[in-house]
Amino acid sequence: MSEGSLPQQTVASGGAGQWVLLSYRLPREPSTPRITVWRKLKRLGVAQIGDGLIALPADARTREHIDWIAEEIEGFGGTATVWLAQPGSTTQERRLAQSMAEARTTEYQQVMAQAEQARTLTEDERHRALRRLRAELRRIHRRDYFPPPARRAAETAVNALHPTRTPTEENA
Amino acid sequence: MKWATRAGIHIDRAACAWLIRRFIDPDATFVCVADLAHVPDDATPFDMRGADLGHHHGDCSFETILRRYDLTDDPALQRIAEIIHEADLDDERFDAPEAPGLDVVLRGLSMIGDDEHTMTVTKPVFDGLYEYYRRASLLGREPA
Repeated sequence: MSEGSLPQQTVASGGAGQWVLLSYRLPREPSTPRITVWRKLKRLGVAQIGDGLIALPADARTREHIDWIAEEIEGFGGTATVWLAQPGSTTQERRLAQSMAEARTTEYQQVMAQAEQARTLTEDERHRALRRLRAELRRIHRRDYFPPPARRAAETAVNALHPTRTPTEENA
Repeated sequence: MKWATRAGIHIDRAACAWLIRRFIDPDATFVCVADLAHVPDDATPFDMRGADLGHHHGDCSFETILRRYDLTDDPALQRIAEIIHEADLDDERFDAPEAPGLDVVLRGLSMIGDDEHTMTVTKPVFDGLYEYYRRASLLGREPA
């Protein structure tokens, strides 16, 4: 993806936006808490900017999720601090946003491929695929902070599995 | 009694405030503060990092309060707890299709008013949900 195709809201007003950072350390053993925490962070679509340092654009929802994960890390015997920060330059912010948008693009492309495969199935199977892929899209949307063009394309491909929604309508 | 929670309330805190006033302390008054350090001495904090009535073992604060105050036997409250859990934590522990809708309603409310407004508006919403799931548990099916 070229830098120029990044959506406008990435650097809305020229200045870098506010991000919430979580710096954390967890004991190496047992490994279950590490995996639990990493799964939660992954589900939130965080950008990993270092070892034990992750970032998300700051809003009410992301700040709250990160706060609770920090608390959970401490409950596991680790240490965690939550920071609000501004990237030192919009270039850095853009790079961060771009890596996040690329990660989502990969996920959307996987959904799109599955939707295309499902087109040739029987109507029942197609309907099951539609429900499953819509749920998957919802999960990806929740961590899609800088929507890439593939978002729309994946939605279109999934919705086209519904008998009343042909691709031509969708593109209109 | 005085209760305190984090300012900028969302679904878990709004539901906890409703739960506290309806089932635990009818005379409850609420203060919203920025930080645990600002909680008045005579107030019980909830849904704040570091508070006892917070997230524990993957539960949201609403679930924690149900357990602490022995309210887990009420099936309607249990169902509401599942919805709040999914709206708040979104980890698919429960099947709660109501959650994403309720989450959006609460996020929208927080954009047009202050915390007091959100609590005032959500009170009858939670009263209605409670009545709905109370009837559902009596009937063993959706009441309407």
